[in-house]
Amino acid sequence: MADKRYVEEVSVQPSLVPPLLAGLLSLVVPGLGQILARQARRGLLLLACLVSSAGLLAWRMSEAARREVGALNIFRKAVSKEPLLAALTVGVVVLWLWIAWDGVQQARPGRRAGAGIFGLVILLFFALGWQIVEIDLVKLATEFDDALPAMSKVLWPWERAFIREERVLMAVADIEVPCSDHPPPSPEEVTGQPYVVAEPTCGELSYQDESYKMVPGTPLTLRGRGFDPNTETEIWWRDSMNNEFRIRQEGEYLKTVTDGEGAFALKVIMPYRLIPPSAAEGPMLHQIQARQVSEVGGLQPSAELKLAIEKMVETIFLGLIATLFGIVLAVPVSFLAARNLMSASRITMAIYYLVRTLLNIVRSIEPLIWAIIAVLWVGLGPFAGVIALTVHSIAALGKLYSESIESIDPGPIEAVMATGANRLQTIMYAVVPQVLPPFISFTIYRWDINVRMSTIIGAVGGGGIGFLLIQWIRLLDYRAAGIAVWFIAITVAVLDYVSAEVRERFV
Amino acid sequence: MLEVKNLTKVYEDGTVALRDLSFEVQDGEFLVIIGLSGAGKSTLLRCINRLIEPTEGQIIWNGVDVTTVSSEQLREIRRQIGMIFQHFNLVKRSSVLTNILSGRLGYVNPWASLVNRFPAEDHQRAMQALERLGITDQAHKRADELSGGQQQRVGVARALMQEPKMILADEPVASLDPVLAHSILSHLERLNQEDGITILCTLHYLDLIQRYATRVIGLRDGELVYRGSREDIRRMTDEEFKEIYGEEAERVSAGLTDNVPSRALSEVEGVTEVPSDGGV
Repeated sequence: MADKRYVEEVSVQPSLVPPLLAGLLSLVVPGLGQILARQARRGLLLLACLVSSAGLLAWRMSEAARREVGALNIFRKAVSKEPLLAALTVGVVVLWLWIAWDGVQQARPGRRAGAGIFGLVILLFFALGWQIVEIDLVKLATEFDDALPAMSKVLWPWERAFIREERVLMAVADIEVPCSDHPPPSPEEVTGQPYVVAEPTCGELSYQDESYKMVPGTPLTLRGRGFDPNTETEIWWRDSMNNEFRIRQEGEYLKTVTDGEGAFALKVIMPYRLIPPSAAEGPMLHQIQARQVSEVGGLQPSAELKLAIEKMVETIFLGLIATLFGIVLAVPVSFLAARNLMSASRITMAIYYLVRTLLNIVRSIEPLIWAIIAVLWVGLGPFAGVIALTVHSIAALGKLYSESIESIDPGPIEAVMATGANRLQTIMYAVVPQVLPPFISFTIYRWDINVRMSTIIGAVGGGGIGFLLIQWIRLLDYRAAGIAVWFIAITVAVLDYVSAEVRERFV
Repeated sequence: MLEVKNLTKVYEDGTVALRDLSFEVQDGEFLVIIGLSGAGKSTLLRCINRLIEPTEGQIIWNGVDVTTVSSEQLREIRRQIGMIFQHFNLVKRSSVLTNILSGRLGYVNPWASLVNRFPAEDHQRAMQALERLGITDQAHKRADELSGGQQQRVGVARALMQEPKMILADEPVASLDPVLAHSILSHLERLNQEDGITILCTLHYLDLIQRYATRVIGLRDGELVYRGSREDIRRMTDEEFKEIYGEEAERVSAGLTDNVPSRALSEVEGVTEVPSDGGV
């Protein structure tokens, strides 16, 4: 109200300086003209706007041109690097000039307080904000492709969720590296079993010469018999250290298709394999393998799917148990935190304030932080999650419960007390019926929150599906992560629906 | 018999609600307490059963000073004194029957009552009370499903369950229309005449007071400013009534000149007499 009087006063009193001088003063010290024109608040506000926007701009420029020395160099580098900073510089200069012009205007008799200049200020601050949070719409559009594979895997992870049992038909032949006097014999053929024979049975692996050029290894002729006819056959290699891998030739996996009799023949160049010198002394036995992989039987849940289901169940129960513990402990606490029940004496009021303060402190610490503390205490796993969510539930429910106790109608309490009922009877007959519906409603709401929270709690080791999710994301296994995401989404949606239904029924 | 001696109530914020109040109530009286809102009527009624602790003075109920008894004795005294409220004070989410049965809480085994178990005779008593007030068919409804008049009858039934020797009625008809007001008051009158229950009732309308009261006391700013016998009230004019109420009476008594429409009244069960000579 003091401000109002002040404004009225200045609108009557003339400026202390002529308009032109006010403008000039504002050009030198922004806002000074306005102050002398008896518009001190406006002048100071404009000065603050200019100083802060110029300061922020200077900071952003020095950030953009870290290595440069000297104001001019920094300015040149920053402006060339980010055009937005150039535009902002223009904006700040325009603001300065506008403040000077505003000084002229304010010093004139019959002036008006124009708001346009503050429009520019707001615009400047938005542009600064844009720059500070590094918004990059171009990146958003051009680098969308990078997110696409991961995103599509997360959105549709189901091919990872189900597998078919595989049957592998395999035959192997030993290859000696390098050739000795006694190369290994070809394996014996057993009728009815797949069989391969390599020619020769020894040779040199591919290797890189001094100029890192690939020198191809010994070519082998691989013949196979007794496989499934007309079926794709993969060629694998097992090195002397028992590492198995598919052979690539010219960038493609080597494979062939068997003829009508189940036989094939193809050329295989012995692959590149870097064997540590200690393991490469003397002739070593490698193995060439021909494999036919066929899927048999129906779809089966994958290990990831099973794990996700197990962890989801764990998560739901984690939320449930935490809510249960929360209720059991929050109910007595809430009675202590209800002002209308505790206002009888000084001691009870002291308890009330103590409990209220404690609840507020506990509630203001996020469950995530409680989980970190609990993990230190009881170790990784769902129990830590239960502790974290229970602690937070007690505080949150305690507050909600106590508020619903505070909002009850005191009339029935009075009426029941007037019948000669004792304290416990009064609570049972007058308080409980009034608070039960809100209690149930809040409890279900809390359960809902706890299950959703328990998915996050896992991220810091509190057990549940969150732990799995974070782990899969870190392993870049987006399909498996997608399964977890789907389960969380489905559970939350179902819970939302159920809690809404139940609450409707009780309230 | 109830004796109130030098009763004073000062609230914590320094408000003096009652100032050195003394009066007697004989058994079987229908005593009406009049006075403006804030005159101390509600405080007075609540001091009698110590829902509000009196600051000074004595309240002697059948020879026992209510202000000094232990909490155990107090509960025994409370159960002999029924109470009816302006806003009915029913537990809205509980059934009518549960609300009525809660009138027996001062009598029954406290532990059994905690799990909502009452003896069979209490259930019988509750059904009788329901019947007496004509709301038998409402027994299993939730209290807030009932109309105002019905809710107040549940309130009366709850008080009746206490087998009271006295009923304190705190503006029992202030939230009801005139027709229902007569219905409730005639129920109270019948309890007063047939069962000999002493009634202490606060009322605002002169025609109701003239119709039901056997004696009247008037409060203004916590002080006793009027005592009137049945005859005094019958003779009382609007102007005298305003005197008791004080300067602001104009607005309060605006409704007094309107008589209750007799046709509407005759439709209400339990109303036997239409006070045609009441009012001015």
